[in-house]
Amino acid sequence: MGKLDGKIACITGGTRSIGRAIAEAYLAEGATVVVNGRDEAKGKQCLTELNAGKRAAFYAGDASLQSTVEGLIDYTIKTYGQLDICCLNSGGVLMTAPIAQMSDEEWKLEVDWNLNHVFWGMRRALNHMIPRNYGRIIVTSSVEGKLGKPGIAGYATTKHAVNGLVKSVAREVGTLGITVNAILPGLIETDIVRDTGPASAIAMGLESYDAMIGLFTQESALKRPNKVEEVAAVAVLMATDAARNMTGCLFPVDGGTMPY
Amino acid sequence: MGVLDGQVACITGGTRGIGLAIASAFLDEGANVVINGRDAAKAQRSMDELGAGDRIHFIGGNVKKREDCEAIVNGTAAHFGRLDILVPNAGGGSDYAPIAQMTDEAMQDALVWSFWHTFWTMRAALNLMIPNNSGRIIAMSSVEGKMGKPGISSYVVAKHAINGLVKSAAQEVGTLGITVNALCPGAIETDIMKQDGPGAAQAMGLTYEGLLEVFANDSAVKRLNEVQDVANVAVLLASEAGAGITGSLISIDGGTSPY
Repeated sequence: MGKLDGKIACITGGTRSIGRAIAEAYLAEGATVVVNGRDEAKGKQCLTELNAGKRAAFYAGDASLQSTVEGLIDYTIKTYGQLDICCLNSGGVLMTAPIAQMSDEEWKLEVDWNLNHVFWGMRRALNHMIPRNYGRIIVTSSVEGKLGKPGIAGYATTKHAVNGLVKSVAREVGTLGITVNAILPGLIETDIVRDTGPASAIAMGLESYDAMIGLFTQESALKRPNKVEEVAAVAVLMATDAARNMTGCLFPVDGGTMPY
Repeated sequence: MGVLDGQVACITGGTRGIGLAIASAFLDEGANVVINGRDAAKAQRSMDELGAGDRIHFIGGNVKKREDCEAIVNGTAAHFGRLDILVPNAGGGSDYAPIAQMTDEAMQDALVWSFWHTFWTMRAALNLMIPNNSGRIIAMSSVEGKMGKPGISSYVVAKHAINGLVKSAAQEVGTLGITVNALCPGAIETDIMKQDGPGAAQAMGLTYEGLLEVFANDSAVKRLNEVQDVANVAVLLASEAGAGITGSLISIDGGTSPY
């Protein structure tokens, strides 16, 4: 008996790292999960590793594209008949330049991936959830949704924006049985941080990737990076029926980094 | 098999309301729990209802007194052999009034009840937890720990102070395996709300029903919260999965607080 028995969830960017940990935690609690990612091969491997049979599916596509985000939600509803939990989790640091050197093209890519993807996903999901008077929308924001950092302004800007979206939408649908929340993880050494971290470190004026990890870690009270499982546990709590009064909440999982 | 198997928790003001709900949730997850309150008969009734046998124990005492706060914390460790989780949950105020009319005694009472009791129990608990390199402190703040409200400034001030204490303590013990967090519930119609609410409402220029309506309307969900909502988050923070969360002020307020 799980806390999410019979619930249907979809997760953007769910084949690895935080999204993957959320998928595993949801499956363990009895939910059915559709994960998304860009890479078909990684998706297939993910399904093999999840080993959940018909309770897990993969939907391929780039989460910075409207067609992917809406396609994932439509596919989930078509395949499983409903969508109870929508995790808009994909995102990352694309632009690693000071604003003075930022190009329009890079800026737009970052906004599409981190902000528009969440908007497109929420809108599509809400149109399904509102008539059902039930739903859980869980957005992966970031400690940079509350703090600025030099060199990654696009990331900090879009994560701040996502927090504004979460708070506004929570108030729009508060009486309709739908909660809308954000999780704000501190640094986690995910695959994507390992991929983009070296460039971020240079943009932040730091010597190396390790120096960046050290800086983030030192800013926390725990003096260590966070873990994907710690984020997944909060995502489970928010997804349960019991969390019906938690909405518009920006929930930090950052080892005591944020001042508020 | 629970996520708190074998853990020992101490909850001040645990005989009713939010504290009792947390005690019940901790027991369900396998913890041993000490509850505290002023009324032993009331505590016995609560414990009989929980039916947890030896896994629950009552330590009487008035949290407005330092010696009692220390005795509750140290008594927990003495009774169950250790202390893993402290929930300084008691709190409240009295003789609410606008600041221009507020007495020293009313301000002092709210500060002692909510803030000083949290400090006294936290200090005692940290002295047990630091040598063990392990611990969880989950303080009961409020949506009023983040927002002001006219007429109940003593309560608002005490809860804001708890949030400051939590954030500082989290930074002090972050590397010692101890997390320190605050829960910020919105209004819940607990016994204590029914008891103190009419006075608070009067200070705010409202009826009691009007007060509840204001709280509900401030939220996104347009209803009051329930004790179980708060207990679920307390379990998460107390569990191993909560190890990465510290210095956080978690809102369980139906979308009321702006941050």
